[in-house]
Amino acid sequence: MTREVFIAHIEREQEALRGFLLALCCGNKSDADDLAQDALVKAYLSCAGYQDKGKFRSWLFKIAYNTFLNHKASLRCTENIDEARTLISKTAADSSFEHQDLYLALRTLPPKERSAITLFYLNGYNIKEISMITETSEDAVKKQLSRGRDKLKEKLKL
Amino acid sequence: MTKDKALEELFLAQKPHFSDNADFMASLTKRLDAVEYLKQHQEATIRRYKMLMVAAFVVGIICGAAAIGYVLSMPADVPLFTVHVQTGLLLWLAENSRLIAATVLSLLMTLGIISIISNVQDILRMRVRIKA
Repeated sequence: MTREVFIAHIEREQEALRGFLLALCCGNKSDADDLAQDALVKAYLSCAGYQDKGKFRSWLFKIAYNTFLNHKASLRCTENIDEARTLISKTAADSSFEHQDLYLALRTLPPKERSAITLFYLNGYNIKEISMITETSEDAVKKQLSRGRDKLKEKLKL
Repeated sequence: MTKDKALEELFLAQKPHFSDNADFMASLTKRLDAVEYLKQHQEATIRRYKMLMVAAFVVGIICGAAAIGYVLSMPADVPLFTVHVQTGLLLWLAENSRLIAATVLSLLMTLGIISIISNVQDILRMRVRIKA
């Protein structure tokens, strides 16, 4: 895949990718955009090995998902401090976003449940596709979706 | 698994729209330019490394051949070097000069081959890292 073709694909898919990462980052746009850029650079570096089978978006989401998990793993030790800071400032980081309730509810979910829920409800993927993107079994995805949905409904009082 | 209607509607209603797509793409293009520059730099480094290795290999072969040629061209009954001191160890060195020179040359060539193999492995590893 040439650079021009890659950029053309990205121009078409970037909004969906950023939306997915924005939900995973619970509305933190700067984090989401940084992760999107990192994921896209990784995708660019490995696009020589990509074989076009009409699943470019899934391939991109897989890279973005792994980038997000790596980012979460690297932040694990400072996460509690960040969460405490967020609680004190009443989500100052999210104040510029209009969907605070949903993002706050998503924040309570573990990253894997959050990813499964976002891919299922926001991006419209089915269980098989989610299991391919997240590299987990379909049963595990079903469990994540079920748990995540129950927690979200409870938080959002739906 | 069926979708929960209320959740689906909530997600769809809150689907984000970005107004800074052009800025995002401009920033991405800059990053890709930087990545491209680094890739080219790494490839140039590998090329230089390869050329240096080939040059070292050729110089090693020439020097080794010259040294072995020198050793073989000397008369067999004359030692390669003589030490004008009648000490036990130095006398032994002088008597076995051919054997010692051959051993040292073999050792040097072995070290050279080992270093070439490790350099080739380094280059292969660097290539894999660049592709990854």
